[in-house]
Amino acid sequence: MAKVTVSKLAKLFPPPVKGGDVVRAITNIDFEVDGNVFVSIVGPSGCGKSTLLNILSGVDTPTSGSVTVTEAGKPAKLGYVFQDARLLPWRSVMDNMMYVRDDDSEESVANAAKYLSMVGLDHTHEMFPGQLSGGMQQRVGIARAFSVEPDLLLMDEPFSHLDAMTARSLRDHLQELWSRTRKTVLFVTHDVMEAVQLSDRIIVLAPGGVIYDDLSIDLPHPRKASDPKVATLQAEILGQFENMQVPAVQ
Amino acid sequence: MTTLIQEVEPEPDSTLKRWILSDRGATLTAAFLFLVMWQLLTLFAPRVPNPWAVVKIMWIELSGGDYGSVRKGEFWNHYAATLQRYAYGLAIGFTAGVLVGALIGASNIARALISDTVLVLLALPAFVWAFLTTMWFGIGWQAPVLTVAFTAFPFVAVNVAQGVRAITPDLRHMSTAFGVTSVKRFRHLILAGITGYVFAGLRFAMIVSWNGVLLSEWFNGQVGVGFRTRFWFDANRYPGFLGWVISFIIFVVALDRLVLTKLQARAFRWRNSGDELDKDLLATVG
Repeated sequence: MAKVTVSKLAKLFPPPVKGGDVVRAITNIDFEVDGNVFVSIVGPSGCGKSTLLNILSGVDTPTSGSVTVTEAGKPAKLGYVFQDARLLPWRSVMDNMMYVRDDDSEESVANAAKYLSMVGLDHTHEMFPGQLSGGMQQRVGIARAFSVEPDLLLMDEPFSHLDAMTARSLRDHLQELWSRTRKTVLFVTHDVMEAVQLSDRIIVLAPGGVIYDDLSIDLPHPRKASDPKVATLQAEILGQFENMQVPAVQ
Repeated sequence: MTTLIQEVEPEPDSTLKRWILSDRGATLTAAFLFLVMWQLLTLFAPRVPNPWAVVKIMWIELSGGDYGSVRKGEFWNHYAATLQRYAYGLAIGFTAGVLVGALIGASNIARALISDTVLVLLALPAFVWAFLTTMWFGIGWQAPVLTVAFTAFPFVAVNVAQGVRAITPDLRHMSTAFGVTSVKRFRHLILAGITGYVFAGLRFAMIVSWNGVLLSEWFNGQVGVGFRTRFWFDANRYPGFLGWVISFIIFVVALDRLVLTKLQARAFRWRNSGDELDKDLLATVG
């Protein structure tokens, strides 16, 4: 059960052109996530969603402020599902699973195989990523992230590059996996419907990387996209977005 | 208006046509046509030795005899000397190429500083190195070894640099996010990522540098395939000259086809795997 604390976090990038303004990706945000919850971070493109995950995972560093990700007071173990699968193309599916694991024991291999089986990829162990479709590659990415048994799972728009049918199928796979494992998840998306279907809580980021809203979704899991309650809630949230006024930067 | 097109079942290709169009058939057919054209050429150009004369003199070189005062076993002595120089030169050029290529691939500063120099070296033909090394080192083993090394080096460096650049920042970020150890990263991310490019570089290096060792031995050798080639050239015996050159070409091509091509194909099998997308599997698992 991971605890995420984000405090006065800011991230600036150098001006893209000489003499231009610095790019404010995240501006002094504070939030906390505690427990086995599925939290979505929603917002338009360029509002700092992916930057936030990169800072949480240690891939990027903040300009100011701090983030802590702990599990029972110790640094938490992370899993990450990216926008694209990010598999080593020269390694087989099973080798990709083992690449991120701490040991190569038989138990570890069996565990990796179990997660591949959960996403319906039993017969792909010896195949290379190039032999799989985009959806299958992304399923390997999801299985890989779950298989390290993370305390905190970071997911950065994992279905945005996929067609609607595949994305829908993978959302169902994800809900099933999450229901079984109940990990703490931070899920970045620009798709409100996706966020409502999957999350217990939605943090809305506005352009400039400020928190616009923080909503609780009180519906039982698993949810179907076709569920009228999901659709109604989605419409309500989208209605709020139409009136989005970005708070003044302090 | 409706046009009725009658469906005609295509006739299967003949067995001979299928054999000629196969890889092995095409190779053997090309070799046969080459021999026929060579034989025809000798009818119009009397100073071009015919294939049989070349085979005959090379058999004498190989088995011993009195033609050209060759003692039995001398063929292998010449070959061993050349192969040793070739191997040492390739080892030096390969090692330097891997190191410099990795540097160019990994560092923008190194790329800015060195890549143009490597491109210039890439454009220098082997015979220039054969001349230069002979002038610098005189008669001895250094000139042929360094000719091969200088010729091979840029081909390996360029390919390895390309391989290192193929390891995208995304994959490095993924490794960081999952906390993958440095040892695992080196083995599975870097080494495995560049292996195919290393073999590609080595193949190019071998193919372009073989003539360097022969030329260098031609200029300054006391022993070796190049020296022996010059011996027959000076003796005005063109079958011997041509036989030695062809024998070394056959050796390099055989080494390439039987060993390096297969190793490279194995190292790059992941890259070709997309062409063999398993449609049955896709249908099964969605």
